[in-house]
Amino acid sequence: MEMGVILFMAAIGLMLIGIAGIVFPSHLIRIIFGIALLEAGANLLLLLSSFKEGAAAPIMLETGFPQNMADPVPQALVLTAIVIGVGILALALILALRVQAAYGTLDMRQVRQRMERDIAKQAGISMPSSIQAPRPITTHGADDE
Amino acid sequence: MNNLLLMVALPLFVAFLLPVMHRVSPMLARVAGPLTLAVTGYLGIALWVDMQAPVAIQLGGFMPPMGITFYADQLSMLFALAVTVGTLMLWPDEPEQSVRQWSLALILAAAGCGLALSGDLFNIYVFYELVAVVSYGLIASRPTAAAMAATLRYLVISAFGAALILAGIALIYQATGTLNLAQLAILAPEHLHNPQGLTAFVLILIGVGVKAELFPVNTWVPEVYATAPERVSALLAGVVSKLALLVLVKLLVLVFQVTEAHLIMLVLGILGVVTGELAAWRATDYKRMLAYSSIGQLGTIFIAFSVPGEAGMFAGLAVALHHLLLKPALFMLARRWGGALTGLTGAGKSSPLAAGLFILLALSLIGVPPLPGFWAKLLVLVNLAGQGQALYYLGGLVILFGAALEANYLFRVASRFYQEQPADVVHQPHRPQDMLVASVLAGVLVMSIFFISPLTDRLHTIAAEATDVETYIQTVQPVQLAPISVAMEKP
Amino acid sequence: MRKATSAIFLLGLGILIAAIYQQLTFYGSGVNIGQAINGMAANQVGTANIVTSVVLAYRGLDTLVELSILFTAATAGGMLLGRRKPTAQPDTNGGFVLRAGADLFFPLLLVVGIYIIVHGHLTPGGGFQGGVILASAFFVPMLARPGHQLDQRWIALVEGLAGASFIFIGLLAMIGGQAFLSTLFGKGELGELFSAGSLPLLYTAVGLKVGAELAGLLAHLSDAEALD
Repeated sequence: MEMGVILFMAAIGLMLIGIAGIVFPSHLIRIIFGIALLEAGANLLLLLSSFKEGAAAPIMLETGFPQNMADPVPQALVLTAIVIGVGILALALILALRVQAAYGTLDMRQVRQRMERDIAKQAGISMPSSIQAPRPITTHGADDE
Repeated sequence: MNNLLLMVALPLFVAFLLPVMHRVSPMLARVAGPLTLAVTGYLGIALWVDMQAPVAIQLGGFMPPMGITFYADQLSMLFALAVTVGTLMLWPDEPEQSVRQWSLALILAAAGCGLALSGDLFNIYVFYELVAVVSYGLIASRPTAAAMAATLRYLVISAFGAALILAGIALIYQATGTLNLAQLAILAPEHLHNPQGLTAFVLILIGVGVKAELFPVNTWVPEVYATAPERVSALLAGVVSKLALLVLVKLLVLVFQVTEAHLIMLVLGILGVVTGELAAWRATDYKRMLAYSSIGQLGTIFIAFSVPGEAGMFAGLAVALHHLLLKPALFMLARRWGGALTGLTGAGKSSPLAAGLFILLALSLIGVPPLPGFWAKLLVLVNLAGQGQALYYLGGLVILFGAALEANYLFRVASRFYQEQPADVVHQPHRPQDMLVASVLAGVLVMSIFFISPLTDRLHTIAAEATDVETYIQTVQPVQLAPISVAMEKP
Repeated sequence: MRKATSAIFLLGLGILIAAIYQQLTFYGSGVNIGQAINGMAANQVGTANIVTSVVLAYRGLDTLVELSILFTAATAGGMLLGRRKPTAQPDTNGGFVLRAGADLFFPLLLVVGIYIIVHGHLTPGGGFQGGVILASAFFVPMLARPGHQLDQRWIALVEGLAGASFIFIGLLAMIGGQAFLSTLFGKGELGELFSAGSLPLLYTAVGLKVGAELAGLLAHLSDAEALD
């Protein structure tokens, strides 16, 4: 199969795995891993947007500029996107740290219930009946997926 | 006109230096933020008044489409000023970690101006991400556990949206080889009005729609607005959501003038109005009621913009600007009233001014003449009726249905004001700075009643200029690039 | 219920993307700014590394905003983490191998980081990559000796001044009447260390800022109290 096709399917596959990693798990760290994979897939897709087979890097060599140079613009764009992703992941991990310190759990469902309970308590209303009462904190860690 | 970049560069410069300034002199740091915004606001107004026709500024002096272009027309300048003035008026005042908050507020102003003015697709994406990261920080500036959890959930949805935008940009670059909006406008009819282009639009729509509270990526809205500081909620609901909307509208007008794009916006808008207003009807606390109402209002704005042509732009702008003034005022009242709705019983006696403001704002939101909300909604409904398609009629019906629900739940609250105050309910007085902001915004709304005619003319000019694709292309004048000899096709 | 709808959504997304791929063409429009930049960069900007000319010259504003995003993330992180309580348990030092290795690595990482930053316009690399290496150069000794934390004041100072100097260089061009972030100081000789005008200065500012920021963020994170 063509190189471009393989790379393109790899990028799409990474994105889909990343999205699956965000919507299906309930453990916070796995969700953050899903975000990292999704961003990696999106960056790869951006790089592939002007893929040229067998092109050389757009950097001057001893002999001058090479003949068939690759497109420098997606490379610069992905550089920016990777740094943005790093910033977001750092913030996500710090927030996860604080949420764990406050609620004692990294299970997203538990966190959501406790958050709703806190919002309702602060407003002085009762929680909507559609949300179950949060389970008490158990000694062992994450639940089944 | 070159100085326009100072609206972006100056607040960033001061934001970077603010921690250093604070060490040297805390008083200087306290003043530097609002002073910078006042300077850039004045600069923006001066440039706007001077502007005869839209201007394109090339950053670094590089010709478009190789370099980045900043496009300043009436609409962009309006929104750039709205961000600057809005951030100045809603300056964060949480007691903890003040210097960091001020840095974040300055960066928000800079990023908002950049987002409004930029004419390059990837540049818009990075400014959008900057607004997102700043909002994460500002929401968590009141460090309650619930705020952290809400920020985290918002971050997950927002990161998902950001990756979708990147995928959309990748598809666009693949099809056209350029990122400059003017050149995309030239190339679009041939290369982007096909399934690939439409997919790119949908990806970018969902990605940017996270901030614009679009259905279905708006699950973060009630949690965040309930736990963030009120000024931050006001900024997010009022200003940031309109900026995201501006991005989508620019793309719609310049690059994706196709029926499918308009219809998708219409459908998502209808879903937004229905879900938002129904949820607001059932809400039992003040802040979340406002949050769901905000979702409904933004759905209305999406429906308004989904009408093609200048008429749609005009109506959409009217509703958007009305909401931009209205929601922050309502959030200012949330500082003391931000609890259960049952806790507002008898508030009419203890804070008559606030109760009066709330009723005034509620009337404008529902759309009661002669308040500006009525004119805005009327424009939208007239446009929708004039389209002649079933889906647009449905949009009109949904907006009327939404207005009925709004009347119901807002007057439920208002009637509580004048009931007998029970013994266990205590009302705290509103802070003067909150009342000042709310009164100013409400005052602007009332004043606009007397200036309906000149305002309408002005909006017409802005809308006509904004939908004029030819002028956009002529002003920016992207260089025609020589077609490359090696063109690879799909195997 | 949520999982079922999510699975359907993913399936639909996959089918849609596959359908799109059927209609994809590479270089569909015959126009590509990358090719144009490849041809013009040597004359207009004067860097041997064309990607650097895109990052710093043609799309310099993107880089500035990227720096701001990192600054905002570090600021927000600082806001969220707060300060360590004085009564908290001090962390234990690393073993002998870790300490000796850290002492050995510090100068090496420093040199490699500075080399990559300074040669960003000639070889692959630049401010961001070199900045990350600099950050790790300062962080590895902290892993070995957790008690000796970095002085956050110096970090904030370097971070702020480096970022401000990036904008300052951009503003300098405006004083001369040109647009924001134009290249200054002429092009120089292609391939020399001192070439491409103000671009190496910009990358140095970027490298220092990124290094200080990441080192500060990591220091703050490692300083946060261990949770039981």
